[in-house]
Amino acid sequence: MKVVGARIPRYDGVAHVTGRTTYVDDVSVPGTLWAKALRSPHHHAGITTLDTSKAEAMPGVRGVITWKDVPLLEYGHLSALGIPADEPLLAKDEVRYRGQPIALVAAESEELAAEAVDAIEVGFEERPALFDVREAFDSDAPKVHQWGNWYPHFEGEMDRRQIRKGDIERAFDEADTIVQGVYRPAAIEHAPIETQVCQVVPEANGRLTIYSCTQALYFSLGVVAAHLQVPLNRLKIVGGTTGGGFGGKVDTATETMACLLVLKANRPVKWRWTREEEFLCSSTRAPWHMELATAMTKDGWILGQKMLTLHDAGAYARFSPYGLTKHSFHHTGAYSIPNLHFDGYVVFTNRTPTTAMRGFGVTSVSFAVETHLSRVAKELGLDPIEIRMRNANRIGDTSPNGVAYTDPSTIDTLQAIADAIGHELPADYRTMTNEPRAGELLPEHLVAQVGSTEGH
Amino acid sequence: MNLTVNGITHGVDGRELATLLDVLREDIGVTGPKAGCHQGGCGACTVLVDGEPRRSCLLPAGYADGTEITTVEGLGTPEKLAPIQQAFVHHYAAQCGFCTSGMMLAAHAYIDRGGTDDHDAIQQALGGHVCRCTGYSKIIDAVAAAARGDSFDLTTTAVGKYTTMATGGGE
Repeated sequence: MKVVGARIPRYDGVAHVTGRTTYVDDVSVPGTLWAKALRSPHHHAGITTLDTSKAEAMPGVRGVITWKDVPLLEYGHLSALGIPADEPLLAKDEVRYRGQPIALVAAESEELAAEAVDAIEVGFEERPALFDVREAFDSDAPKVHQWGNWYPHFEGEMDRRQIRKGDIERAFDEADTIVQGVYRPAAIEHAPIETQVCQVVPEANGRLTIYSCTQALYFSLGVVAAHLQVPLNRLKIVGGTTGGGFGGKVDTATETMACLLVLKANRPVKWRWTREEEFLCSSTRAPWHMELATAMTKDGWILGQKMLTLHDAGAYARFSPYGLTKHSFHHTGAYSIPNLHFDGYVVFTNRTPTTAMRGFGVTSVSFAVETHLSRVAKELGLDPIEIRMRNANRIGDTSPNGVAYTDPSTIDTLQAIADAIGHELPADYRTMTNEPRAGELLPEHLVAQVGSTEGH
Repeated sequence: MNLTVNGITHGVDGRELATLLDVLREDIGVTGPKAGCHQGGCGACTVLVDGEPRRSCLLPAGYADGTEITTVEGLGTPEKLAPIQQAFVHHYAAQCGFCTSGMMLAAHAYIDRGGTDDHDAIQQALGGHVCRCTGYSKIIDAVAAAARGDSFDLTTTAVGKYTTMATGGGE
C-alpha cells in the first residue's frame, strides 16, 4: 500500500501553477486559418437550399466544407461495436437540433470566418419539434427520425433494454404496500472552462497532426479516420491535456471537420468554440424520465420493483445505448431485489445530443432509487438507513443482470454514513457484515435469488 | 504602445483596440492567461495591471499602455515557486489547471492587499472566478494557507518524489 492514503504529487501540478502546461489553444502554428461553423437556427427543419459560393468567393476565405466533402458522412463512436451510426458529420437534408453544424469555413481570421458563415445561403423548411420524451410514443408526435423516435437496435433488434427476473406478479400480489414515484433529473452542461478546440496541421509527409483537447484519443483517432476514409497511420493525435472535460470531451466534436478543412485549404486550421456554442450545442448529460413502483412488506423488505426508463438522448444516439445498458444493469442501486421488471428506451428528441458525464446512466438511477427508498421508509415509518441495510447487497446476491457479488460494500458504507452523521443504529445493524444471507436475513422470498447464484 | 509584461517591455503597434488577452497570447506569446468565455464571465484571463486584477478579455490593450502587467509566468518559476503557487501545489488546488492562473493572480493580489485566511473574505475576493473541477474548497484552503504564511514541504508533492515512487523506491 504505497499509494492509498499517501500524498501523491500531481505529475502536472508544478506545470499548472507556473503556466507551463500547453493546452490546445496555446499551440500556435504559423499560417493557421480560423474555422467557424454555420449552425442550425432551428430545432427541427428540412434544408431546402445550401449555397456556399458567395462565402467561398470572399477575399481571405480559404475553404468551405459541407456534407458533400465528407467521404463517410455517418459514423458513430460505437460503430466499431456494431451500433449503427445515425448522425451525419454535417447536416445534409435535415437538421434535428438547434446548433447542429451545416458547414464549416476556414479564413485568415476568426472575424472573417464569421462573416463568411453569414454569407452562406441556406434555406429551411421548419418542422414540428419534439422536446418531451413522454410524448415521443404518441401516434401524432413529431418524428425526430423518419424511422422512429426511439433507438431500435438493442440485442436481437429489440427496441428497448428489458430485464425480467424472478416472479414480478407474485411479488406485487404478496406486497403489503406498493410505493410509486417518478424521477426526472435534468440535462446538465459539462461547462468546462476550456471550450471545445482543436488545431490541425498538414505535415510534409502527408500526415495530419491533430492537437486535441479530447478525453479519448483513440476514439478520436478511429472516428476521424473513418469519416475521412484514411488509414490510421495518416493521423497523429497530440492530446492528454484537457481544460476540463467531465465526459463532454469524449465525443469527437471538432477534429474531423477541422481535418477536412485542412485537406481542402492545405493550411493549418484552428477551431475553437465560443462559450455560447459550448452552451448551445455541445453535448450535455442526458435528462431522464424514470417511473418506479416498489412492492414492499410492512417490515421493510423489497419484494419486487417495476421500472420504466425513458432516456432522452437528444437528436442522435451517440453513447446513449451504452448509457442505458449501464443504467439497466444498475437499476436496483446497491440493493438486492429478487423480482424485477425493467423496460428502458433510448428516446430521441429535438434537443442537443447527450453524451458521457461522470457515471452517466448510473447516476440517474442512483438518484431515483435513493430518493425513492427514503420515501418508502417514510411511508412505512421505518428508519431510512436500516431499510437500506436490510436490503443491501451481500455476498452471493445477484445484480439485475445475474452477476453474483463477491464483495459488495453497501453495508460498510451505510455504517460509515450512519457514524459520520451521528445516526444511532441498533446493535445488530452496527455489527452487520456483508456475509452471505442466512437466518433472519434470508427470508423465504430471497431464497430463490441466493440459490440462483449457483453456476454464475 | 508599450506593454511591460513580467518585467520585459514589448512595443506593440496597431493593436490598441484588440483585447489585452489577444495581444498577450497572440502578439507577445504569453499564454498563461486563458480564454474561457471572452465575455468577462469566468476569470480565466485575469492578469495583474499595476498590481490590480483585471479581466484581460474585456480590457482594450491600449488601456494597459505604459503599465506593468503580471501574468502567471511572472509569479515564480518551477525552481522558485511563489508562495501562492506552492500553496496551490500542496493543496491540490489545480486540477485541470485552466482556471488556475486567473485564480492565483486574484489570490496573489488579495494577499498583497493584506487579505487574511478568512474563508468568507477569500470567497469574496475570488467570487468572479469559475472552477468546474475542484468544487472550490481546495482552492480556498490553498489561498488561506498562503495568506497565513504557511510553509509547505513540497518534497511530498514534488516531481522528483513521484518518479521515485513510480520506480518502486519510495516509502
